Amino acid sequence: MMTAGRCRAGRREILANLLVVLVLFAGTHALAIGGLELNPSAWSAPWTGDVVLVSAGLLFLGLAFLMPLHAGLLNLAVHAQFLAGFAVGALLVRSAAVDPGAQAGLGLLCGAAAGALTGLIVAWLKQRCAIHEILSGLLLSAAFSPLALALAGDRVTPPALTIELSALTAPLSWAEALRLPPSLVLAWGILLLSLAIALALLFAHFLRASVWGFEVRASGSNPLAAVATGMDVDRVQLTVMALGGACAGLTGALQLWTSPAVALERWPFPLGFAGVAVAFLGLGSVRGSIAAALLLGAWLNTPYASDVLSRPVYGAAIAALLLLPALWALPRLLPEHGAPRAIWRTRHRESF
Amino acid sequence: MGGKDAGLEIRGLSVADGDRWLVRDVSLSVSPGTLHMVLGERGAGKSALLEAAAGLRREAKGSVHYARAGDSVASSDNAAPRQRRLLAAFLPREIPAVSLSVAERLIVHRPPRVAGVALHAERGRTAARALASRVGVEALLDVPIEALRPLERRLAELAALIAQEPAALLLDEPTSDLGPHEARQFLTTVRSLAEAEKIPVLFTTTWPRDAYPDAMAVTILWRGADPATVSTKECTEAALVQRWTGGIGIRRAPSGPHTPGDTLLRVEGIVMEGRGRETSLAGIEFEVKSGEVLAVVGAPADGLNLLHDALLGNRVPGRGSIHFLGKEIMRAPRRLRVESGMTFVNPPIARDQSVPEFTVEENLILGQTHVPPFARRGSLRYESIRGNAVRALQDFDLPDITPRTRFRELSLGARQRVLVAREVIHNPRLLVARSPAQGLSLTEQEYVRRTLILQCERGSGLLWLTEEPEEAMRVADRLAVLTAGRLVWIPVTETLTREAIIAEMSGAAA
Repeated sequence: MMTAGRCRAGRREILANLLVVLVLFAGTHALAIGGLELNPSAWSAPWTGDVVLVSAGLLFLGLAFLMPLHAGLLNLAVHAQFLAGFAVGALLVRSAAVDPGAQAGLGLLCGAAAGALTGLIVAWLKQRCAIHEILSGLLLSAAFSPLALALAGDRVTPPALTIELSALTAPLSWAEALRLPPSLVLAWGILLLSLAIALALLFAHFLRASVWGFEVRASGSNPLAAVATGMDVDRVQLTVMALGGACAGLTGALQLWTSPAVALERWPFPLGFAGVAVAFLGLGSVRGSIAAALLLGAWLNTPYASDVLSRPVYGAAIAALLLLPALWALPRLLPEHGAPRAIWRTRHRESF
Repeated sequence: MGGKDAGLEIRGLSVADGDRWLVRDVSLSVSPGTLHMVLGERGAGKSALLEAAAGLRREAKGSVHYARAGDSVASSDNAAPRQRRLLAAFLPREIPAVSLSVAERLIVHRPPRVAGVALHAERGRTAARALASRVGVEALLDVPIEALRPLERRLAELAALIAQEPAALLLDEPTSDLGPHEARQFLTTVRSLAEAEKIPVLFTTTWPRDAYPDAMAVTILWRGADPATVSTKECTEAALVQRWTGGIGIRRAPSGPHTPGDTLLRVEGIVMEGRGRETSLAGIEFEVKSGEVLAVVGAPADGLNLLHDALLGNRVPGRGSIHFLGKEIMRAPRRLRVESGMTFVNPPIARDQSVPEFTVEENLILGQTHVPPFARRGSLRYESIRGNAVRALQDFDLPDITPRTRFRELSLGARQRVLVAREVIHNPRLLVARSPAQGLSLTEQEYVRRTLILQCERGSGLLWLTEEPEEAMRVADRLAVLTAGRLVWIPVTETLTREAIIAEMSGAAA
């Protein structure tokens, strides 16, 4: 199990992950120059704002995967939680009863709550029905996609379902109502990124210095010992899944309040799973994940990345590349029993 | 034991794990039809040696030679790991509890087929019955492996290995979860099979007694010292122990006379259904007083595991009562038991008492984070935690270990010392120890025993559950044998012998 907030991976793993990032930047650049048209305008004004806003979203998604991981759970429901947040946010956007000025804050809160609820469902299914979180997570993700589409209606398109760049073209009503300046994106981005980094550091601090964090780490590292020494592992797992779900749900709701240029929709596979890539690229540590979110945010907003990702074949290759860090991160991140057993076990009560 | 006639010969074998030597320069030869025992504490390299011989692990140096009966060609060549996997049959220490029946398990390696496709059920059953009868489990053909008692499971696996017609049998600690009478029965069966099949058998153990009367020779492995091989014909069990331990005596040495005090634990009429073919508890009654050691000896499947589970709170008995300090705790969770002053020391290899990835100081507060001085208002107080660790490491003679050392980096003996320290440092009212010294070096065994008994002499009660008669005799003020789900009390006298206890235990198993 990793130490809270600190990357315990060896130098080789860190270098390998840096190499992956380098390949991402250089590879997409080469492909864009070689055969694709560049879009120089993408480098213009809102670029900085885009980077910080996308990085904030990526970091929230990374935390959504990272928090349960410390308690020994593989939260592949992160995409379902993201979609739940997105759907609830979409409902609010469509609701004429909600004051446009209040839509933003309320949407984020409700999105986080919806994500948390989805996380609780996954943890509950694991504890009561012995359904592994990987299975329930993937099933919920598949089930929530049409639900998110249906709730979003014509007004918005769930960005995870498309890699089209033109999904969110309409100006947001609440922004117009508040007469906010064009620097809105940057302001939002800085605010949200600060919030995400603060949350990540707070989580790392709590893991190390609080009784709750001790129980989370013990539950993740050896659930048998945690139960035997009187810890309520079920409660710990519910808590971290709710927290992780809230982070993913918040990112889902966030998609509705951002301009199309900064939407995370460029991601080459279902968007919620970006959190998995961030966590693995960060080798399971909080600090590593912050760095990974910033690097990936910057890369996603490069004009050549946008262009390359618009080609499905390149998107698939990039998705595969981003999964590479999992190969060397996973065995180190999971408890003492090693990756395969930790992935397939369903209940901490089992003695394997 | 000449190399010329050997069915299995290991020459100068060394096995490394990274830059650490697991086994160095081991040479031995085993004649067909005989048993050769490898003796050593946990971590001495026994499993690594067997795994290398079985082709499951690569050796750094040395060679392994197998010869089938009547085959003189292969014996001169060093078998490659792939060849070894085909030639040798390896039985690991932990056998997975699968849901296959015994009959299915016995033929799974080579099932008789019809037209090469469908399973020939009748022939399969006949073959399984023939194999099972060789180890005495023919009555259990339809019982799932997971429901068998440990001895039956080992015997069934043994029969399955024989079905592969191996050139040698390699058994890794086959007696680790058996009572002494079961171990004897198992090794006798192995010997008769080896003689019938004319194959060599190499097995490992942590108990010198396993060598007698079936093994021809014993190779002793020590950490950081050259191995030695002795013949059991020329070396008695006492001499073997002397050679292995370097003459460390194992005697109970109480620090002074003590008088049992108040009753701490009272167990009355416990009835508990066994799992699978485990013996059920049929009305267990005893009490433990402060300042006394009550030892309960029994085979794990004869109810010892059930009794331990009932005391831990893992399973609730069907009938009866468990009172601790006058309060009924039979249905209380373990946390409440621990909070009221009952603590548990499990075998060193038990996975439910430590977090290997945590530091020593964190393991020392496991289960105590909700109380001062280690936590206040939800925050851990690391100065108290570190102070506690420093004191514990000093008191328990672990000067080379720092509070920040990762627990998994410690030797097995040091781990158990840390865990014993955690349990006794807060002066519990009652200690429930389940084979707390199992698999440790004899020095460490003695240390653990002495520490727990010392705590008992300070006024705690000590309930010692074990499958080893010798261990019980060393520590007990009162002694009971768990047999057929009931306790049989045996007076602890100077004339009490191990054989008397084993006879009582095996009477239960019959």
